Amino acid sequence: MTERLASRSAADGAHRTLLADSVTAFTGRGADIARARRLRGSSEEYDRAAWRRMAELGWLGILVPDTHGGLGLGLPEMGIVARGLARALAPEPLVASAVMATTALAGGGSEALKREHLPRLVAGETVPVLAWQETAGAWDAASPALQARPLEGGYRLTGVKRFIAGAAQADVFLVSALADASPALFWVARDTAGVRLELEPLADGRQFGTLTLTDALVSRERVVARGRQAADALARALDYGAAVASAELCGVAERALEISLDYLRTRVQFGKPIGSFQALQHRGVDLYIQKELAGAVLDQVLEALGEAPDAASRAALASRLKARCSDAALRVTRESIQLHGAIGFTDDCDIGLYLKRALVLAGWLGSATQHRRRYVALSSENGK
Amino acid sequence: MTDWNAMSDEDFRREAREFFESEYPPALRYILRRARWHEMKEWWRKLYEKGWIAPNWPREWGGMGLEAGKMVALLEEMERHGVARAPDQGITQVGPIIMQFGTEEQKRRYLPGTLSGEFIWCQGYSEPNAGSDLASLQTSAIRVDDEFVINGQKIWTSLADDATHIYLLARTDRQVKKQAGISFFIVNLQTPGITIRPIRNLAGHEEFCQVFFDEVRVPLSALVGQLNEGWNIAKALLSFERLNIGSPRRPQYALHRLEAVARARGLFADPGFVDRYAAVKLDLEDLAALYGGFVEQAKRGEALGPEISMLKIWAMETWQRVTDLLVEVGEEQGVMPGVQDVAGVKADFLNAFYYARPATIYGGSSEIQRNILAKYVLRLPG
Repeated sequence: MTERLASRSAADGAHRTLLADSVTAFTGRGADIARARRLRGSSEEYDRAAWRRMAELGWLGILVPDTHGGLGLGLPEMGIVARGLARALAPEPLVASAVMATTALAGGGSEALKREHLPRLVAGETVPVLAWQETAGAWDAASPALQARPLEGGYRLTGVKRFIAGAAQADVFLVSALADASPALFWVARDTAGVRLELEPLADGRQFGTLTLTDALVSRERVVARGRQAADALARALDYGAAVASAELCGVAERALEISLDYLRTRVQFGKPIGSFQALQHRGVDLYIQKELAGAVLDQVLEALGEAPDAASRAALASRLKARCSDAALRVTRESIQLHGAIGFTDDCDIGLYLKRALVLAGWLGSATQHRRRYVALSSENGK
Repeated sequence: MTDWNAMSDEDFRREAREFFESEYPPALRYILRRARWHEMKEWWRKLYEKGWIAPNWPREWGGMGLEAGKMVALLEEMERHGVARAPDQGITQVGPIIMQFGTEEQKRRYLPGTLSGEFIWCQGYSEPNAGSDLASLQTSAIRVDDEFVINGQKIWTSLADDATHIYLLARTDRQVKKQAGISFFIVNLQTPGITIRPIRNLAGHEEFCQVFFDEVRVPLSALVGQLNEGWNIAKALLSFERLNIGSPRRPQYALHRLEAVARARGLFADPGFVDRYAAVKLDLEDLAALYGGFVEQAKRGEALGPEISMLKIWAMETWQRVTDLLVEVGEEQGVMPGVQDVAGVKADFLNAFYYARPATIYGGSSEIQRNILAKYVLRLPG
């Protein structure tokens, strides 16, 4: 038993190192953000060729079982990729698609949909995203307002989904709905009649989609999950999404701190590098502590999430992680602007792009305050 | 001797829990101050008889040689039951140092008595003019024939009046860079020429002392390690100390009180309180993750680097935030000394608050820890 565990962890270590190396090679050693700069504000939002390369590297299949063409790995591995890509501010919807939509589909009850689409998803041929949120601040609302009325052979969906990350180039939406007063998840192709998508800009140059469904007809074969299974699959997808978004927050914080420390070492005022001044050294140290703390929680929670004994403890872990990483990344990136002085407030300076990505990741999938409240409500008798 | 590591983690945890519940003196649960030797003597004996005095020591010296998972379980069960910290500097600090730097004779002479409670240790580092700038210490040890003669004054020596021995840093060479002329000694406090004077602290306790050395003659065997190697030895010991100080255990005491009082006052229905509670609760949970990483590193036998300073900063500052909130939710009772009754819940608000105050000062102040991190970890220019 112990031996098996030991060899498993040695194997984990080896393939995780390979994974980390492949991410570094992908983003350029110094986390090159030229690509991110070029793509920000574009209507495509991200680079489909880069997405296919990510598929070739196996990253899109990290959470997909090998029976469906994936790598059958776990959240720690997905975390390595997400963290590394976030260092270069990659705009691709890894969390929205390869984590959330993938987890929702894999957790659903339709073997036919899984057989047909999981391998395509792993290959980067289909890019689905999850469309579940309807109101700002209600990212984990239990019951959607969007209605699915049953009819012969399928359902008619009517309602609005908002704040959909990765919508710009998505070709499928996994839409949560209420069908006969019970939750359900539907596989809705973008070109379905009665489906309209609008895009709105985000602080980091990416976009949120608003999906309006008006009597959109979805066949029975396109039901991903119903009832309890739909609620469970969605809840798991949201928790995993929050967790891997936290890995991105860590990557952003870590790179922003590196950039700022380099600046402290090289910027000269009063005849000395400004990093020699104790006031700035201590600020740098406080940011370092936040970054390390977030990293420690990330490592612990990504290992524990997949083996959480029940949905409540899984959600509590995810909330603990998202709260810490959101706060840490916001603090590091905000104060990084201050450490840079006026140059930090220019669009030419990279540091501002890190602040903007941190803002978006912290505001998406539940703010730190929301997650802390959810943690208290879930994790102890105190919340009840 | 029992191999505790051979037990399953669950069995070991159950064993610990049952042991604390049946044997630990109820009057000493959650006492929120350093326990005195006379209070802890009986408990020490029980731990000793069970072989549980030194979880961190190797088994060859009578320790438990406990692996990381069980160490955490043991600490958690102690914390859960409110087991106070005994005068344990011999176990956490000087014991490991003697094992690493001492002679065979010093090991045989001091380690068994340290385990049994025959030797109680206190730490003689700080001096009136050597606080944060510890390396400028002036207490001297001069070799005269087959003895060292020690003169000087130590201060902030916790529980010196309970101790039988002191481990101290003294200057043995004034001609070299200040760090390079310091040696590490162990001295019996009964030696003629030593005077101990307690100092009353903000909480009203006489927990720390001044220790005066006036022509104190000690044998050459009082020197640990090489002459003038004391600074490096003390630094090795400081990382043990920072790991121990960085344990989530003490802030957890305070958090449990906070939760009990908040429940008694119905504060969990107040969203304003819940937000503040959640912040400190998670600061503490996340401290445990940070701490766990360092414990794993120590257990793998790796040296703890200067990064350990961040653990002390975060642990101590978190502890203070918890006790700040505790005093606040105590309302009027929060500013009344002694144990208060809040709808049946007992809490000593001020003691908890005072206990956390010096935490960002002792063992290297938070500002010194930040200097260390800036210089040795972030590599910022000097």
